[in-house]
Amino acid sequence: MNSRKSFLIVLVLTLCLLLAAGTALAKPVTITFWHAMSGSRLGVVESIIEGFNATHPEFEVKPLFTGSYAETLTKYVAAYPSKTGPNIVQSYEVGTQTMIDSGAITPVYKIPEMLGETWDWAQYVIPITNYYSVDGNLWSMPFNSSTAMLYYNKDLFEKAGLDPNKPPTTWKEMEECGEKFLASGVVDHVYSTGWPDWIFEQALAIHDHLYADNDNGRSGLATKVVFNDDFGHMIFDTWTRLHDKGIYIFGGAEYSANTAFNSGQIAMLIQSTSSLAGIIKAAEFKVGTSFYPRFEGYPVGNSIIGGGSLWVTKGQSEEELRAVWEFLKYLGQEDIAIQWHKGTGYFPVSGAALKTLLDEGWFSEDQAYLTAFLQILSGKRDTAASTGVRLGPFVAMREDLVSGLEKALAGQLSPKDALNEAAEKMNLKLKDYLELHGK
Amino acid sequence: MNEDKFPGHKFLPYILITPSIAVIIIFLIGPFIQSVYTSFFVSTTFGTNTIFVGLRNYIRLFSSPDYLNSAVVTFKFAAFVIIVGLSIALAIAQLLNQKIRGVGFYQVALIWTYAISPTIAGVIWASMFAPSTGLIPYIISKISGGYTLNWMTNGQLALFIVAAAATWKMLGYNIIFFLAGLQNVPGELLEAAQIDGASPWKAFWRITFPMLSPTTSFLLFVNMLYAFFQVFGLIDIMTHGGPGNATEILVYKLYRDGFIHLNTGSASAQSFIIFFVISVVAIIQLRIVTRKSIYSR
Amino acid sequence: MTRKTRQEIFIHAILILLVIVLAFPVFFALVTSTLSLQESYQYPPKLIPGNQFMNNLKDAWERINMGRLFFNSTLISVVVAIVKTILALLAAFAYTHFKFRGQGLLFSMCMITQMLPLPVRIIPTYQLMASFNWINSYYALMVPFFASTTGLLLFRQFYMTVPADLPDAARVDGAGPMRYFWQILIPISKTNIAALFVIEFIFMWSQYLWPLIVTTTREMRVIQIGIKMLLASEQIAPEWNIIMAATVIAMLPPLIVLLVLRKSFVEGIAMQTTK
Repeated sequence: MNSRKSFLIVLVLTLCLLLAAGTALAKPVTITFWHAMSGSRLGVVESIIEGFNATHPEFEVKPLFTGSYAETLTKYVAAYPSKTGPNIVQSYEVGTQTMIDSGAITPVYKIPEMLGETWDWAQYVIPITNYYSVDGNLWSMPFNSSTAMLYYNKDLFEKAGLDPNKPPTTWKEMEECGEKFLASGVVDHVYSTGWPDWIFEQALAIHDHLYADNDNGRSGLATKVVFNDDFGHMIFDTWTRLHDKGIYIFGGAEYSANTAFNSGQIAMLIQSTSSLAGIIKAAEFKVGTSFYPRFEGYPVGNSIIGGGSLWVTKGQSEEELRAVWEFLKYLGQEDIAIQWHKGTGYFPVSGAALKTLLDEGWFSEDQAYLTAFLQILSGKRDTAASTGVRLGPFVAMREDLVSGLEKALAGQLSPKDALNEAAEKMNLKLKDYLELHGK
Repeated sequence: MNEDKFPGHKFLPYILITPSIAVIIIFLIGPFIQSVYTSFFVSTTFGTNTIFVGLRNYIRLFSSPDYLNSAVVTFKFAAFVIIVGLSIALAIAQLLNQKIRGVGFYQVALIWTYAISPTIAGVIWASMFAPSTGLIPYIISKISGGYTLNWMTNGQLALFIVAAAATWKMLGYNIIFFLAGLQNVPGELLEAAQIDGASPWKAFWRITFPMLSPTTSFLLFVNMLYAFFQVFGLIDIMTHGGPGNATEILVYKLYRDGFIHLNTGSASAQSFIIFFVISVVAIIQLRIVTRKSIYSR
Repeated sequence: MTRKTRQEIFIHAILILLVIVLAFPVFFALVTSTLSLQESYQYPPKLIPGNQFMNNLKDAWERINMGRLFFNSTLISVVVAIVKTILALLAAFAYTHFKFRGQGLLFSMCMITQMLPLPVRIIPTYQLMASFNWINSYYALMVPFFASTTGLLLFRQFYMTVPADLPDAARVDGAGPMRYFWQILIPISKTNIAALFVIEFIFMWSQYLWPLIVTTTREMRVIQIGIKMLLASEQIAPEWNIIMAATVIAMLPPLIVLLVLRKSFVEGIAMQTTK
């Protein structure tokens, strides 16, 4: 009886111990993730996170949609003093310099080291990681990356008597094609663009032309913009001329031009590659895509990356950091990257993903998806001008550029004066930023 | 009455006003002082570095064409809302003040716009004026033989439309106050004027209008506050301050600079400037009211 | 027909015309909310109602979590209106029925708030919310609005017209100040209380800028922001039929409050303008 009693006691104690250990193990480490992915992208983000949580029961990622990019950043800044912010936050690409200078984040490249791991960063698509790197080290995890390309309405091309498989490839051809369209009477205006400020940056980068000094702000804080030379003036001149001829119609600050394209009011659209899925769904015509138009006879650069990336807040516990790192690695996995691309149209960040997509015939279904890849992979990747622009007060500077373009288009100022005025305003902002952050 | 009606309760009044005072100090006066303080600095987004710059934020604003544009836009906008809004409201109130049947019905049928929020007013007017599909552009194109009314490419038009929407929404409020003010004008005065042979028009300007001045100046102040501040939702929903910055009123620019560009120094300076303008108008209004109430004795 | 009758008919005609013109935008919104998407894009625009209202409403409801937004707006509008009224009543009582040190200064302080509308102090107030950890909470949406000059002025003016023998009589009867307040003063203030409730409810229901910056999650936003969310679609043109369905519903509560309490509202205002 004594031995039975003691056996029972040991049994109960062991069970208690196991239970306690079990509950301690079962409680997952939770991390929060603030993002700005709205609309259909929200669903994809959440399903990816659900997948992560299911396959990594020791961790739990809690996503929170915190509004637009600007709203998300504002909340992050407000939460910073009281340390009530998230473990991971998504910032738009124009916020990159601000985030780097914030003192609030841990650069991503340091994390494996901090956890005693090693990691091969080269597995990610180089032009994308280049954008978010400082001195060759990756500071934020690329997440939603896109570039700009030319969309066109194949049906309208046919209607106007043009070859639907030969879209314009240079700005000269854009002009000629535009004139033919207007002559045919098929449309009132021929093309529009989204994000005119970004499209301007693309025009410079595609020709390996710098936007700002200090290697586009990459080798040090930029002190002034350098696009208001003959080349930059030519861009503004060309666009203004196309506008005055009725070929180019100004499409607003962001995505409003998409509606006109989808409803067949214009024949071409220069827009983010991330609009592709949405356009194909909404358009009732054959959608074609092609490279961003070039100016003939000028050097070759590359189109630049837009979108956003993920930043890791400083000062987390090792447990949390581990959860963060596993999540970031998960996002970079080939299958997840493919899931993200197929659901949204953004580039997959994993280099191997492209090969898999090719192999499984994703692009033969609709070649339109391939254009974006071909464009960034066929351009330069080793010059500062083709890697992208990083400026502190970028958001406000972009508005100055759009305002300058609007003034040129409205005839308020000559294209040259408009660009110079914009450059002046932008330089003042750079000066202020330097004052606060300068050494 | 303003006397001590319950002597012996020395602490009660303080207790009664404490909640209000607490809220005012913590959430209104405190932040305001903080805002003024911040306006003399520039700082990094995350607050890692702050530099005292004295009046530089203010000087920059006054020499910035964008800010001056905002000021002009706000002035035009407010002028429209006030002048058009008050004139129409006064005319309608005058009509309502005649001895006709069914005043109660008309009262309701004309003041309800007060309950519409500026945002909703904005949404409805935006849909009516939508460039390619809206009702008004359609009517205009039919009348004018094809002219496309597109506020997205016409800044002055955009400003007109938002001002019209804002005025429409505020009509109900203005009518109610004018009606109340009109009903305070002693009928005998007007009758006496009529007997003296004065035309209704003359009677209105010589008697009614001056007696309305407390109401008028009150409405002026309220409409100004409305046009400066409460229409933010309307602007954000209809035009985002666009096209260009044709409808970027001061408070909208403040929001953009403070919350999108994260430039707290400049936004704080803008806050103070608006406060200053409002205060000046408030003091003027107070002067008019006290003077007129002396006259009406 | 006498001249007077002709005049009256003329006035009625103008007034009816005004009523129609004034109501037209809302009529247009109502019609649009009953159309299907294709119908709403028809050119020329339709002015005859369709039958898609419930579908559109259901769509809007799901997209922006409208039930919750409605709840949020209602909650903050009612609570703030009530709290503001109570605080104003207490303060007005204090300023008119008592004499105490610093009275003038404290009263001026309350009046200054008229010149401190939100945008004038928006950033520090926002930072205050962040430091209290109130972002995305009902506290942030409500507490900064608890002080009201309108209410204070309204009640103070009214109390100044209360005959002096009223509190005197109460005192003689042995009633303390608070008893007098609750049992005598409040009942006679009913009209003004109702008028203030209308004003403050409509004011809170219309709030846009503050909820915009202080809430970001689907659960905590208010109906005004919800409507903006419906509009803010990147790649498709605004779906006016759905937007209008939400708008029509969002219009109702303040309208109902105004209609139900309109008599008190009009009377309260009339009282204020009687100097």
